[in-house]
Amino acid sequence: MAVIRVDGLAGGYAPGTDAIADVAFALEPGTIAAVLGPNGGGKTTLFRALLGELPLRRGTVELAARPAYVPQTDRTRHDFPVSALDVVLMGAYARTPAWRRVARADRDAAKATLDRVGLADRARRHFGSLSGGQRQRVLIARALLQDSGVILLDEPLSGVDATSAARIEELFAQLRAEGRVLLVATHDVEQARRWDQVICLHGRQIAFGAPATTLTTDVLGRTYGDELVILPGGERAIAVEHHAH
Amino acid sequence: MPLDAPFIQRALVEALLLAGLAGVLGSWIVLRRFAFFTHGVGTAAFPGLVVAVPAGVAPQLTGLAAALLYAGGVEWLGRTRRVATDAATGLALVAALAIGVILASDVFESPASVDRLLFGSLIGLSDRDLWLTAAVLAAALILDLGLRRAWLAEGFDPGTARALGIRAALADPLLLLAIVLACVVALDAVGALLVTAVLVIPAATVRLVAPSVATLQLGTAALTAVEGVAGLWFAYELNIGPGPAIAVLGGAVFAVVAVVTRWR
Repeated sequence: MAVIRVDGLAGGYAPGTDAIADVAFALEPGTIAAVLGPNGGGKTTLFRALLGELPLRRGTVELAARPAYVPQTDRTRHDFPVSALDVVLMGAYARTPAWRRVARADRDAAKATLDRVGLADRARRHFGSLSGGQRQRVLIARALLQDSGVILLDEPLSGVDATSAARIEELFAQLRAEGRVLLVATHDVEQARRWDQVICLHGRQIAFGAPATTLTTDVLGRTYGDELVILPGGERAIAVEHHAH
Repeated sequence: MPLDAPFIQRALVEALLLAGLAGVLGSWIVLRRFAFFTHGVGTAAFPGLVVAVPAGVAPQLTGLAAALLYAGGVEWLGRTRRVATDAATGLALVAALAIGVILASDVFESPASVDRLLFGSLIGLSDRDLWLTAAVLAAALILDLGLRRAWLAEGFDPGTARALGIRAALADPLLLLAIVLACVVALDAVGALLVTAVLVIPAATVRLVAPSVATLQLGTAALTAVEGVAGLWFAYELNIGPGPAIAVLGGAVFAVVAVVTRWR
C-alpha cells in the first residue's frame, strides 16, 4: 500500500501560471526516491505541495502521515542563539502545549536522535558554530524527532563534508529499512542512480520510475535541457548548475 | 536625585516596566530583525502625538492610530510590489516626520513641547501612563508564553514552522502588533525618536554575548533597568533630558561590549 500517492498534481502561487504540473507517482514503505531537476525545476515546489502549502489547481495528494521536512542549511539563521539540542527539540513543538516545557521523554528522544546522527557530543554547541555537514545532520535529527513515516529532504548532501555525507547516506539506509519513505531533492544524477525511485521534474513531471530504466540520456536531456553535459562515450551525463540566485 | 519625590518614583517604576518590555519584546525585535520597523513605528507616531493635545484625547490613542496607519501603509506599499519594503519604510518615515513638524509649527508655539514629543520625558509621567505600560507588559508576557516557539521556529528557519506542525499564521502579525503597542507606551518616556533606545539597543548589546533566547531576555531586562535608572540619575544631576541620557548611555555600553567581545 502506497504511503504517498500523487495523481495529476498541478499548482502554483501566481494567478494563471502553474509552478508545477502533471505530477503523478506512488511510493511504497521503505523507499528512497530522488527528486531530480534543475534549479527552478519544481523540486521545492513539489515539497511545498506535499506539505500542504502550495495552492493546488488540479489533482490529488494522499499521504499516510504528515511529512517531516529538512530544509537546506543555508535557509537557517546561523546567528540565532540556539544549541544543536534546541534545534532538534523544535521537532517536538507540535505535540507540546505552549505553556509546558518539552516533555522529558521528548528531551531524551532528542538526545537519542542527535546520537543517531553522530552528534551526541555536540548537543550543547551553538548551532551556527557547527560545520555545514553537522548542521545538516542536526536538521535531519529534528525531522526524526517529528517521528513521521515520510521525510522530505531538500538537497541534504549539497556541499557537506565527506564524513557527514557518509553518515547521512548510512542513515538513509537505516530509515529505509525501518519502512520510512524519503524524498530527496538532488542535482546529482549519480546519487539518484543509487536509490529506489526517481522523479524527474522540469516545471512538470518528465519521468518517474526505477533509476536504471528511467535515467536515460533522453529523459535527462528533457529534465535539464542546456544544463546537461554528456560525458565522452555517451554513457554518463552530469547536470551543471547555473545558479540564478 | 530625590527618591521620595512622586515624579521620580513614577519615573523609576516606568523604567522598570519598560525594562520588562525590552526583555520580552526587545529580544524578539533584535532576533527577528524588526529594529528598523520599531524605529519607524516610533517616528510615525509623532504626528499622532502632535494632534492629541488640541484634539483633547490621550496621546497614546492618537499615537497608536498613527503607528497602525504607518504599519498598514508600509505593508500595503510592500504588497503592491511597486515599491521595495525598505523604500516604502523610508517614504513613510519622511512623510510622518514632515507632517508632524508642519502640524507642530501650527499647533505649538514653544519648541520645548515638540522636543518632549520627540525625545520624551520620563519625569513627567502620570499614573495612567504607568498603568498602560503595565497592561502592555502583561499582554506581551502572555503572547510570549503562547507564541515564543512559533517566533523562534519562524525566525530560525523562515517558512518551516508550518512543516514543524506549528500554527504560525497569526504569530508574526501578533508580534508586530505587540511591538506597535510597546512603542506607543514608551513614547511618553523616551519620545518618538528614541524608542529604540529602550526596545532595541539593550537587546542588541546583550545579543553580543547571550548564548540562548532566555538569557537574552533576562539579560536585556536587567541591562535596560540599569540603563534606565542610571540615565534618570544622569539626567537629574546634569539637568538634561532623560530620553537622550538613556540613549547615550545605551549607545556607550553597546560600543564597549562590541569592542570587548571583538577582542575576546
